Amino acid sequence: MSKNTPERREARKQRAAEALRQKQAEERRRRLVAIGSVVAAVLVIVGGLTWWQSTRDTTGETADTVPSVASGSESDGTPGELDGYGIFVGQPDAPTTVTVYEDLQCPACANLEAQLGEPLAAAVDAGDVRLEYRMISFLDRYSTNEYSSRALNAALAVLDTAGIEAFRAFHDDLYANQPEEGGPGFEDDELIDRAVAAGATESEVRPQIEDKVYEQWIENATDQMSKDGYNSTPTILIDGKDADAQQLAELLQ
Amino acid sequence: MKDWIGLLARLVTGGVWIVAGALKLPDPSESVRAVRAYDLLPEAVVPTVGHLLPVLEVVVGLLLVLGLLTRPAAVVSSLLFVAFIIGISAAWARGLQIDCGCFGGGGYDADATSKYPWEIARDVGLLALSGWLAVRPRSRWALDPVLFGSSHATDSAENERNPHVEEHA
Repeated sequence: MSKNTPERREARKQRAAEALRQKQAEERRRRLVAIGSVVAAVLVIVGGLTWWQSTRDTTGETADTVPSVASGSESDGTPGELDGYGIFVGQPDAPTTVTVYEDLQCPACANLEAQLGEPLAAAVDAGDVRLEYRMISFLDRYSTNEYSSRALNAALAVLDTAGIEAFRAFHDDLYANQPEEGGPGFEDDELIDRAVAAGATESEVRPQIEDKVYEQWIENATDQMSKDGYNSTPTILIDGKDADAQQLAELLQ
Repeated sequence: MKDWIGLLARLVTGGVWIVAGALKLPDPSESVRAVRAYDLLPEAVVPTVGHLLPVLEVVVGLLLVLGLLTRPAAVVSSLLFVAFIIGISAAWARGLQIDCGCFGGGGYDADATSKYPWEIARDVGLLALSGWLAVRPRSRWALDPVLFGSSHATDSAENERNPHVEEHA
């Protein structure tokens, strides 16, 4: 039993304080390491998932299969041409060029087609208007079977194998019988039947429709529209300037 | 009581982030177009932002719900809401008619103008909850104290119970 002198009491107190300081420093270190590890893990997860998102976004990759316009099918001499992502119908020297961005699942596009499709077609055939279809697809979410992009792929297959007149007929038919948003759109077989009715040959369009060969081209066309600054369908341009359905109707009168 | 408010703020804000992010994950190219539609960022960074945002939203949401790294997650959450409020306000001010893309989608929306004020109000409310958590990250049922030991707040609580232990900073 040692004497409990004030000096010894002081020394004991200091030792205890020192031990507590060390314990607290250790505790702080442990906490910093734990926090650092979790932060690092979170950063790795965010980085990895972001990279994964970018690999799943195939926008901008070169399309293996690019549609062309099958020639020799123009019954009434209305020429068709594919330039970039534009499907041009009508005489190249027509005084006015009308551009429409359309998605085959878009109800507002179906309304536009119902209202102005016929006068527009008449103006094209008369040589007064050159029409540029910019067909894109961003409404796959609005059907249970990606109708928007499959329908466009089918329309491109018709263009590629049967030419511009068959494409026009198919395009108009799909708008006139557009499936409701939110439900199932036409399955491949139905698209093929309608393509044949529009003038395509089944043996030619079936593989292109079933294999969705223009998927990448469609992805790129859709991205190009966004880069051009247009976010909606239908978007109408008259001679390259923004216009609305009203102005188009006046033009066609 | 305040700890329960913190828990509620974590669950509401985190839940909204998880749902918003998860809805965008399936279609990365759509997210990119939604970001581009705001017409605020240089094209060079648009794709990266479009790929990063949904991931960040889901991760921040999970951290908040779990109460893990609550303060930094709440700070990131606040910054995101500030960015979104700026983006929607800018779209509104410039007469753009775009779907905010908050829960997927994006691009044109004919009714956009009538929705902007509600979207901004919602984000301001969520910003307030995030701000609360950034200032006061401690809350009930959180992982932070389990993993990282007691915070200073609990230290001082213990010290009140043991007034003889001196604090050594």
